[in-house]
Amino acid sequence: MTPQSLLQLTSQKCTTGCPILDRLLYGGIPCDSITEIVAESGSGKTQICLQLSLHAQLPVSHGGLAASSLYLHTEFPFPFRRLHQLCLSFRSSNAHHFPVNDNPCDRIFVQSVHSADHLLEIMSKTDPFIENSKNQVPARLIVIDSIAALFRSDFDNTPVELKRRSSLFFKISSKLKALAKRFNLAVLVTNQVVDLVGPNEGINGLRIGNLGCLHTSGRRVCPALGLAWANCVNSRLFLSRNEEVIREENEKPNGQSCDFVKKKMRKLYVVFAPHLPESSCEFEITREGLFGVER
Amino acid sequence: MEIWRLPISASQRGKLISAGYTSLSSLSSISSSDLARELNVSESEAMNILKVASHSRGSETSNASCSIVEGAQSAWDMLHDEESLMHITTSSADLDNILGGGIHCKEVTEIGGVPGIGKTQLGIQIAVNVQIPNDFGGLGGNSIYIDTEGSFMVERAFQIAEACIEDMSEYNRFLRKDFQECKIKMQPQDILENIFYFRICSYTEQIALINYLDKFLSEHKDVKVIVVDSVTFHFRQDFDDMALRTRVLSGMALKLMNLAKRFSLAVVLLNQVTTKHTEASFQLALALV
Repeated sequence: MTPQSLLQLTSQKCTTGCPILDRLLYGGIPCDSITEIVAESGSGKTQICLQLSLHAQLPVSHGGLAASSLYLHTEFPFPFRRLHQLCLSFRSSNAHHFPVNDNPCDRIFVQSVHSADHLLEIMSKTDPFIENSKNQVPARLIVIDSIAALFRSDFDNTPVELKRRSSLFFKISSKLKALAKRFNLAVLVTNQVVDLVGPNEGINGLRIGNLGCLHTSGRRVCPALGLAWANCVNSRLFLSRNEEVIREENEKPNGQSCDFVKKKMRKLYVVFAPHLPESSCEFEITREGLFGVER
Repeated sequence: MEIWRLPISASQRGKLISAGYTSLSSLSSISSSDLARELNVSESEAMNILKVASHSRGSETSNASCSIVEGAQSAWDMLHDEESLMHITTSSADLDNILGGGIHCKEVTEIGGVPGIGKTQLGIQIAVNVQIPNDFGGLGGNSIYIDTEGSFMVERAFQIAEACIEDMSEYNRFLRKDFQECKIKMQPQDILENIFYFRICSYTEQIALINYLDKFLSEHKDVKVIVVDSVTFHFRQDFDDMALRTRVLSGMALKLMNLAKRFSLAVVLLNQVTTKHTEASFQLALALV
C-alpha cells in the first residue's frame, strides 16, 4: 500500500452549464464524490440532472468530462421530451463540439429502478458497463433521480425495518463511492423533503450543515431519509422555491403607480460540502435550461 | 530479590507477606517502629528484618527507578513525560483549552458530529498544523490521513495550508525583530507533500491498512499524527456476524492505541453520529459506540 501523492490528485469537476452556478460550486459537481440535491417536487432537481448529463459530454477544456452518463430514474415517467428540448438548445450553443448528425441524447443511458434491491443489482452490473464504455465514450457521470422514492414506501416504521433501511443506505453509498473512486465518476443523487411539524427543539431542531432550517414554499422542511443518509453523501445542495410579492413601479398614463406582483423566487443553497463555503444564489428555469441569476 | 529469599525465619516471612510486603522495594521507605507495629513483632526484630533487607538490596544492582515489573514507570516519571510532550494545536484557542493544550500525542482522540459540522475540516487542519515547525511551537512532523468517505478535497487542503503559512509569517512579524533571517521557507506544496494520504473503500482495506501502519511508521519516523476520517463508515453496513464486527472494531482500536504509544504520535478518529432510541426520546450518540 502506498500513499497517494496529493499534488497529483486534482479533483475534476463537471460544469453545470451556467457560469454563475459554476462559480458558486467552485467549478461544478466534483468527481470521486457523491453530491446530493435536496428539494421539494417542482423545484428543478430533474432539470439540473438532465442539464448535467448533457454538459458532461463537453470536452474537458470546456469544463465537461468528455463522457457519457448513466441516468437511473425511479419516478416515472422519464422526461424524454424535456431532455430532447434541452438537447436542441445544448447543441445549438455548443455546435462546434458536435458533428452534424450527432445526437447528445445517444450518450445518456437511461435505466429505471424499482426498489432498493433492484438498485443494488444494477450497481453490480455497472462495473462491466463502465469498463466496456471505455472503448467508445467512457461513462463518468451517474445520476440517481431520486433516491428517496426507493425507500419511502418499502419500509415499515418499526425499529428493525428502520435499521435494515439504514444499513442499506450505507451499503449503497459505499458501493457508489467505490465505483466513483475506481472510475473517477461524479455521482449526483436527488432527494425529497419532508415537512417538519412541531417545535424546533430536540431532534426536530437538529441542524445539519450551514442552514438552521430549510424553507421552501413557506414551509419548514428537512431532507428525507434522515440522519443516516446525510452521513452517506459528501455534499448537499438545497433548492428552494418561494412566491414573493414584489412591488413593481409601473409607468401608467395617469402617472406612476406600483403594482404588487407575485414572483417566483428560486434559490440554490450549499448546505454542506467539504470544499465550499456557505453560499447561495438565485436561479431561474427557462426553456434552455437552469441558469443562475446575478442580482 | 524477593522476600522469601531473605534469610529470616519462616514466621517473620509469613507475617511480612500477609501484611502486604512482597518485595524489597516496599521495605525501603518504612521505619522500624512502623514495621514493628504492622507485623506485631518487637522493634528489635523489625530493625533486624530491615537491616537484612537493605543488606540484600545493596548487594545487587538495583534499577534507578525501582521498577517492580519490567517496563513499568513510576507515576512521577509519567507526569514528567506527559508535561514535556507537545500538543497539536487545532487553530482554535477555545478548543485547545478544552483539550488541555491541543491534541495530545500518545493518545487517541475521537471527534464526532453531525454531517456538515466540520469534522473533515478539523481533520485537515490538524494534518496541516502538525507540520508547524518547532520554532513556531509546533511539532514539525508529518501526518497520515486515512480517508474512508472520499470527503478530502485537495483544493481545500491547499487553502488551509496557505492560511497556515500566512499565520506563521504574521507571527514572525510580530514577535521576531530579525524577521529577515527567519523568513518562512515553507510553501503550501511542501505541506501537502508531507501528508500521506490513503483512500480506502471497504472495511477489509481499512483493517489491512491499520495492520500495515506498523511497518509504514517504522520507515517514516517523522509521522506525528494519524487522522482517520470516519473510522466507522464502512462498519455501518449489514454485517452477517455482529460479534465479528465487535471483535474487529475493538481489535482496530487497540492497534491504534498501541501505535500511538509506541511511536509517540497522536491518533485522531473522526466519527459519525446516530440517533439512539432511549425510552421515549431520541438522542444523538456516536456511531457504533
